[in-house]
Amino acid sequence: MKTAQDIKANNVILIDGSPWLVQKAEYTKSGRNSAIMKMKLKNLLTGSSTESVYKFDDKMDVVILEKIDTTFSYKSDDLYVFMDEEFNQYELRAEDLESVLPFIVDGMTDICNAVFFEGKVISVDLPTTIVRQIEYTEDAARGDTTGKVMKIAKLSNGTEIKVPDFCNTGDWIEIDTRTAEYKSRAKAPV
Amino acid sequence: MKSATTHSQTLRWDIFCNVIDNYGDIGVTWRLARQLVHEQQQSVRLWVDDLTALATLCPATDTRLKEQTLAGVDIRQWLSQDSAADVADVVIEAFGCSLPEAYVNAMAARPDEVLWLNLEYLSAEDWVEGCHGLPSRLGNNLQKYFFFPGFTEKTGGLLREVDLIHQREQFQGDPGQPATYLASRGVHAEPGAMMISLFTYENPQLGSWLDELSRSPAPVCLLVPQGRVLPDLQRWLDVDTLRAGDHHRCGSLDIYILPFSTQEEYDRLLWCCDLNVVRGEDSFIRAQWAGQPFLWHIYPQDEGIHLVKLQAFLDRYSRGLSEQARNALQDWWLAWNNQQPLAAGWKELVKNWPELQKNAQIWCKLQSQQKNISQAIVIFAQERLSCTPKNLA
Repeated sequence: MKTAQDIKANNVILIDGSPWLVQKAEYTKSGRNSAIMKMKLKNLLTGSSTESVYKFDDKMDVVILEKIDTTFSYKSDDLYVFMDEEFNQYELRAEDLESVLPFIVDGMTDICNAVFFEGKVISVDLPTTIVRQIEYTEDAARGDTTGKVMKIAKLSNGTEIKVPDFCNTGDWIEIDTRTAEYKSRAKAPV
Repeated sequence: MKSATTHSQTLRWDIFCNVIDNYGDIGVTWRLARQLVHEQQQSVRLWVDDLTALATLCPATDTRLKEQTLAGVDIRQWLSQDSAADVADVVIEAFGCSLPEAYVNAMAARPDEVLWLNLEYLSAEDWVEGCHGLPSRLGNNLQKYFFFPGFTEKTGGLLREVDLIHQREQFQGDPGQPATYLASRGVHAEPGAMMISLFTYENPQLGSWLDELSRSPAPVCLLVPQGRVLPDLQRWLDVDTLRAGDHHRCGSLDIYILPFSTQEEYDRLLWCCDLNVVRGEDSFIRAQWAGQPFLWHIYPQDEGIHLVKLQAFLDRYSRGLSEQARNALQDWWLAWNNQQPLAAGWKELVKNWPELQKNAQIWCKLQSQQKNISQAIVIFAQERLSCTPKNLA
């Protein structure tokens, strides 16, 4: 058990048997040397989000969820299939992958953490940095090499991302999965 | 008192008050309980762990009784060994006090919905709007929410009796009433005296202000209810003790020590004064309803966080003032709360007096146009109890 003031973003807390991901945790002093915590929470089973406020000393069950390394295998209708080193397959629906879906592409080799709650896979975490190829983007405007002018680039799965104007179709780029932002150009994966 | 709203549903309320220090906890909950009963036609039990604090505000309280009814409110002495009583429809934990475990278990077990509210501290800071009315999901299938008083429409409002402003205007509009009230308290102010009330925490710089008041070209009458500032006053007067009924004169300054009063009597004291120097939360709000300039001695907190809250209020309260008046007000308030010398700031403040008086009236009118807490909290409760199933999503 922890108190609310000890809870940080990315902790998972248990409420009425359901795991809730703490997406944001803000500590604010209220009155008489007391404090409150305002949290943005996401139910890892249903995907619903909410904001909640707690007294700083409210007791909370923090859950350490089991994670297994997997790679993306294939997509079948609405199901995304991941596989671990022992060839066990784990199926997730698109709605379970909401935050990472924009970055899932056929043939990707990133090591993904499949997250389990009570023996059932509930989500997948991608690495914070991934490398993807630009499927299509407009040609660079003449003369700009500053990187400050941005344009839209499309990945192979249709995801659009803003990239510097000097990026071209076919270029490989690094993306921060936490912010969905371009980081830098990258070498093609081996 | 008139009913402010029409309700289709009378709910049963349990308000829990843990008296920590001073009279803010009991002051706010006692006031809220009475308003819920008399203005919102609700049924209220007020659980208090320290009945002597309530007795100070309400002398009719019998501190020996576990149960009694006062002003229509069912008062219960809250003892740690209490087993769970029948749970109310709405349960308020005032200022985040911890409810008895047995009672919380009884709330979870109750077949009908229970609404659990944490009535929080008052603050003018911006973050309050983003937290007011948010749930506090803790499990046990209990629905708990945070309810924040505040100064904007997006908060729970302030404690105010529905006909308070009308009462105050009647009192102040009749010259006989203030004079009669003051005489009943043993106060005989000189004609034309500036009337000041003083009810604050300790302030070692108090003397620097009193020195200035004693040198005032016009008479000043300082009314001091018994409280924490008396030792500082005693030191300045160089006397061994100060008791209710004492009167001292120093130059232009008359000082009267008053007994600690009921909430209604304290309102009348504030209404008699040109300046009210107040503290905490309940008297802070009452000074605003008095419609006169005031100074707020905010409850000191660790790491100076109270100064952030003080500034947040000052920013709202002084928004309509000229730069000169705003600076004078802020400088004096900050000097008081930082325990710095007060004479220079006082002189600047007095130069801006007409503007400060007008600002106080405008502020009072603005705040009184909001729903008061008893209205807002009943609406909040009725909305949540009527639409939420027993099992949370």
